[in-house]
Parts: sequence; C-alpha cells; structure tokens
Amino acid sequence: MAKYQVRRCDRQLEGGIHLEAFKYMSTIEACIFLKTPSILSFPLHFSGGGPGDPLVQVGDHVSQGTPIIQCSSGVIHAASRSGMVTAITDYPITHASIQTSKCIVIETAGNNIRDYLPPLDWPCEPSMIVQRAVEAGILGLGGAGFPSFKKWADGIQILIINAAECEPYLTADDTLIRIDAKSMIRGASILSQALEIPTIIIGIENNKPEALEAIETAIAESQFSCSFDIVLVENKYPSGGERQLVWLTTGVEVASGSQSIEAGILVHNPGTLTALSRAIDGKRLTDRIVTLTGDLITSPRNLIAPIGTPLLSLIRATMTDPEVLDSVTIGGPMVGYSISKYAAGITKTTNCLLARDLKRKVENPCIRCGACASVCPVALQPQQMIFALKGDSLDKALHEGLVDCIECAACNAVCPSNIPLAEWFQFGRFEQDKKDQEKNLASRARERFEKRNERLTRLAAEQEAKRKNRQGKATDALNKARQAREKIK
Amino acid sequence: MIRRPAYPPRETVLIMRTVLTSLIPAIMSLTIFFGVGVLLNLVTGIAVALLSEAICLKLRRRPVMPALSDLSAVLTGSLIALSLPQAAPWWLVIAAAASSIILGKHIYGGLGQNPLNPAMLGYAIMIISAPVAMTTLWINPLTTPDLSSALMSFLGHGNDAITGATTLDLYRTEFVTMTAVEIMRHPLFQRATLGLIYGYECVALAYFLGGLWLIYQRVITWHAPVGFLATLVVVSAFFSFDPDTSTPVWVHLIAGASIFSAFFILTDPVSGATSPKGKFVFAAGVALLTYLIRTQGQYPDAIAFSVLLMNFAVPTIDHYTRPRIIGRKTSVRGSGGHL
Repeated sequence: MAKYQVRRCDRQLEGGIHLEAFKYMSTIEACIFLKTPSILSFPLHFSGGGPGDPLVQVGDHVSQGTPIIQCSSGVIHAASRSGMVTAITDYPITHASIQTSKCIVIETAGNNIRDYLPPLDWPCEPSMIVQRAVEAGILGLGGAGFPSFKKWADGIQILIINAAECEPYLTADDTLIRIDAKSMIRGASILSQALEIPTIIIGIENNKPEALEAIETAIAESQFSCSFDIVLVENKYPSGGERQLVWLTTGVEVASGSQSIEAGILVHNPGTLTALSRAIDGKRLTDRIVTLTGDLITSPRNLIAPIGTPLLSLIRATMTDPEVLDSVTIGGPMVGYSISKYAAGITKTTNCLLARDLKRKVENPCIRCGACASVCPVALQPQQMIFALKGDSLDKALHEGLVDCIECAACNAVCPSNIPLAEWFQFGRFEQDKKDQEKNLASRARERFEKRNERLTRLAAEQEAKRKNRQGKATDALNKARQAREKIK
Repeated sequence: MIRRPAYPPRETVLIMRTVLTSLIPAIMSLTIFFGVGVLLNLVTGIAVALLSEAICLKLRRRPVMPALSDLSAVLTGSLIALSLPQAAPWWLVIAAAASSIILGKHIYGGLGQNPLNPAMLGYAIMIISAPVAMTTLWINPLTTPDLSSALMSFLGHGNDAITGATTLDLYRTEFVTMTAVEIMRHPLFQRATLGLIYGYECVALAYFLGGLWLIYQRVITWHAPVGFLATLVVVSAFFSFDPDTSTPVWVHLIAGASIFSAFFILTDPVSGATSPKGKFVFAAGVALLTYLIRTQGQYPDAIAFSVLLMNFAVPTIDHYTRPRIIGRKTSVRGSGGHL
C-alpha cells in the first residue's frame, strides 16, 4: 500500500505570468487512438538521443518494436508499426530550424505484428532497468528528449514527477494521467526502488482536479510501499519549468550552469515514467499522446499516435482541412515553433500541435519599461540583454546573464512593443554555442598543429643525430683506413 | 471600481495614453490657478513636438504615421509645456518643444534610444539660453490672468504685475535678508493657510494623485518617486530645519517641480535606471543634486540639471544594481568591460 499526502505549495515563483489556459478546448472530447497512418517517418539524427545510425535497410520488413535506429547515446528507436522500409532519404522533419533530414520511411502493412521484449520481473537488478530503458528507447517526453537513463545516477535524494504542465493549451500530460495514472505511479515506484530514492514528489498545478484524483486513486491501489508527496502549485507560467518546479516543491535553487540532477534531484515527465512502466512489461516506446488544439482545429482533442505519424494524419483526424492552416505550432504557444511541412512525422517529444489564428503584431522600439524583467522567472533583465544583442554585442548579453535564460518566453507575453525577446535570446545562445564549438575546434587544431611541429622537430633532430652518427662512423672508418695505409707504408 | 491590472499595459501607445490621462487633473488645476496660458503652452508644445517628430522622421527616412501615433511625442510635448512658465511667450514654447524632440530624442535615434530625458533637455537648453523668460514669467496664483491677458503674455506682451519668480525662487532670494515671518507677508504667500499655498498645493496634489494612478496601473513603480521624495525630505529636513535661514522642507516639496518630477520625469524608463533598486538610487541621486543646486547654485529650480546629470550616471547605476539572477550566489556587478 502506497501512501500519499497532498499539500499546497507555500513558495512564490520569482516573476512568472498568469496566462489564460485554454485547457478546456482539448479535454472535452475523449482521447482516442489514431488509426495507423500509411506512412511513418523516423529522422536518423533528430529522433532524440543524439545522431543515429540505421539498423535496417531499404526493403526490410519491420514489426512494431523492431529496432531501426541506434543513437550515439545508446538509445535504440523502434519502428512504431509493422511495415516495410521503403526509403532512407531526406524527408521533412519536425524541427525548429531544420526543414529536412535523413529519415527512415516505413510504409505500414495492413495487419500489425508486435515484437515484444521479455517482460522484467521487479524486483530485479537495477542495471536491468537501465538496460531496459535503453532498449525500449525511453527519452524525456517533456520536450527536451534527453535520454532518461543518463540521469539515473547513485545518490539521488528526490524524484520529482513534473505534472505541472503550465503552458497554455497543452493537455497531453493531464490526459495521460487521467487515463493511466497507474502506470506512471508504477514507473515512479520501480525507479525510486531501483535507484534507492527516498522521496517522491509529484508537482501538479492546481487547475487539474481530475488528474489529481486519478493520481490519488492510483496511489491508493498501488502495491508498492512508496510514499508520495503531492504538491499543488499555483497556476502560473512557468511553474512547470524544471528549475522552477524544483524550487517550488523542494526549496532548492539549482545553481546557475548546473542541472537539477547535480543537486541530487531527478525530474521526470509523467509520460517518461509511464513509458518506463510499459517497457518493464516488454513494450518499447512506440506511441505517444499528442494534443491537437487551437481555434483553427475543428475538433480539438488528445490522440494517441504512433511515433513517426505525419502531422497531416493528425490534423485530418481532428476533422480539420490542412489547406486552411498556414502553419502549425509544435509545442505550446510559449515555447513552440511553427512548421508548415505537414508530411513531417511526430517524434517522441512532440506533445502538441497548435493551430491558432494569430494577428501579426507590429514590433516597436524597446522603451525599457521593464515589464519583461518583472515576469522573468530567473530575475534577468531582458531589456538590457536585448539592447546588447541588437547592438551586436553577444559578450555584453552574456555578462547580463544570457546563459541563465530558460527561454520560457514570459517576456514576450508582456512586452508592450511586441519584441520577440525569447527568439533573440535563443539566437544569442545559439551563437554562443557555435562560438564555443569553433573555439574547441580551433584549440584542437592548434593542439594538432603544435603536436605536429613537435613531431617534425623531433624527427628532424633524430635524423640529424643519425646523420651525425653516420658521418662520425664514416670519418672513423676513413681515419682507420688512413692509419692502416700509413702503417703499411 | 476598476480592478488593478496584473501587468503593465500591453501596447506602447496604451502606456503613453495612461500617462497623458493621469496628467489631466494637474492640467485642470494648473489652468484654474494659473490661467489659460497653461493650455496655450500645452497645445503649442504638443503641436510643435508632433511637427518636429514628423520632420525628423522624414529626414531619417522612417515611416511617419506609426511613430506619430504612438503618442510619445505628444507626451514629451506635454511634459515640456507643463515645465515652462505659465506666461511664457510663444517662441519659448516652440523652441523648448522643438529642442526636446530634435536634440533630446531624434538625434540619438528616436524612441527608446535617448540617453537623456528629452523634456528636461529642452528645459535646460531654454534656461541657459533664455534665463530671464524662464525665471520671471511665472504666474502668481493670487492674480490668475483672464483669457485676454494670457493671450497677450503668449504673444510676448507680458504684464509684469501678475508674473514673477516662483515661490521656491522667491524664498531662496529673500531669506538672506528676511525672517520666515517676513517672507510669508509677500503676496505669493498671502492666501496661505497652515503655511501652504492653495495654488501650488492643489497642483502638487493633482500631480500626486496622477502619479498614484500610474503606480496603480503599473505604468510606473513606486521606487523612483519614493526614492526622490524621501531623499529630498530627509536632506532638506536635516540641513534646512531653520526657516529663517534656509528654504524649509514644505517649500522644497510643494513649490517647484518636485512632485511633478517625482512621478512624471524621473519615471521615464528610457533615460532612467532600469532595475527597481536602480530606480531608487537614480531618484535619490536626483534629489541630492536638486537640493544642492537649489541651495548652493544660481538656478531657481534644479530638477532639469539634476535629472540630466543622473542620466549620465544611469549606465553605471545599472551595472551595480542588477537583481540577483536565480541560481547565482551574488548579483553580477560592474560593466564586465562591455560599455
């Protein structure tokens, strides 16, 4: 019997903004399974878990669960439905800045064959759980797509389930909890036992009573002897940001430049833990829940769709004509990016498709009103950073604290001049990463150059020595010959 | 009851409009006590500001209408017009408003780019180039002019009988030879009750209410007004406790431009410090300089110079008053070599 207690969060988020949630839109209709689409696509390098190599060839037949991509991080992605690999080629992908990339394209077959892993019997060796997460292709389903097992270290003190889902419109996590809180609780329980984590906290915004009830029921019915601390946080954006939720639920301020895991706190999305629970039963991660919403979507709802499903199939499933949409936003209205190639397939991190009728707003000059600073959850001064970035001074923006920006875009939402601040900060951080890489490359090149020089001088010195040696020997021989000749004389 | 908005207005034009609205009570009381010259100044100031803005935008080859309709030029024109003597001649208003917009704003690149407060720059230029007009044409609220005499003043034919220095200026020059009781006999102080003067008192109150409204609407924060007024009170109470030998606290507060500047000039976001702590420091600095120049300097009021001087200090203040970034132990201080 698992225990739980519910408490209200008594901490205040620094900054933050109350946004209209629009969550009701996609929770009226029930969540359904999407009919298997005829085409699935899996980007080799952008499926999450780093660049990957194909494990199949064109013409291969695959089942649901057949490994098809091996990532550099070790994560293995599986085919989400059975069918035939028709191409491994450049194909549209769902990505913020890259249009097309190499993808495995699968044409699905009529009847679906499933390929299971052997189920694990808990309790078992903790390393088996890690192994299973790798094989089942489990990633952080909250959005970042970081391989979950990479965070599973020793000495973790707290496991936080991030069920806050603070971004407007999104209801994927909410819906998943409502229909399958049991799996989430089971996944969290097994993970906490395997890693010997003493405390489990569930952080959830106070606007999700149904999900909260489902969690309570699931815990009451759970067979694990874990204790859950459910913290209700205020419905304020971005309370579901990892650092923000860690602070709200535990009071730990994750240090700048480090991750919460370095503070001994493991944060997982409900979807990740549910996927882990299923993986233990032998099911690889092949499906995910996606919210389709926004005022241009005819019948907004949540759908459970195979990974790799083209956006087009999802849009059609909501009775919406894709022709009327100029673009859709992947992710929520705050941190999402827009995409207009609907042939692209969803990945493991695609949590929402949002189609809104957006009025284009004219950008005006910044008047330093400071509204952005008042809502920044990290207490940055966006008005200073934007001035530096627009003045082409990346270093100055970094000095103002650009690296601490979590790109939550709360500043965009309050800017009276409609300046796309978060996009500028994203750009700035991207430029900085590029610079760092270049610096690394340059320093590596310099190292190589220095080593080469060293080697060449060493070789030259050796040759010189050899030559001298040879010369010496020759002189010796000559001298000896001379001496011998003189003796004869 | 109007509910306090959770966030500042979401459009630049709304911010400007709110500030303009909050000036209405002050404009009304100014007109009642100091005559229609106030309105003449205001209309001329706004018209000239808009015209200068349009010309500058044309010269800079920028779209004219969007920039004009953001009301920022209207606001600058209003603020400079309200800072000028009520019996100012037309050329003074035109020159002040034009230099505010041209030299205070567009020479640096327009809205959001000016390091100095445009209205205060216009004021400072005028007080240096036309000191007599700027110091002797203030209306005595006891002798509020009618329409025709206000028009005559505006056209440059002033009536010496109804104009003179401000109370602040008067007190400053008179306490050298007179006691407080004697100064109080001057016509400027005649309708005084409880040591306060109706006209100046009402105008100050109107500005104060307008300022509170701006704080309520989240257009400004309390830091600059409180920093300024508190410092001014403390400093003047400490050094000017004797009304026979120095200007008393209440004259510093009520007369002159103290309340007006606290809420409407020091709160200019573009040229002022940006963090809450910075705003307080900036305003306290202005108050110190104001007190110094008022008591030690040659100028009747000192806010314009103090604001401009502190504007120069804003980058430095900003460097040392950053809030602590969440996740860091201390706040980032200094320029880091990036100026």
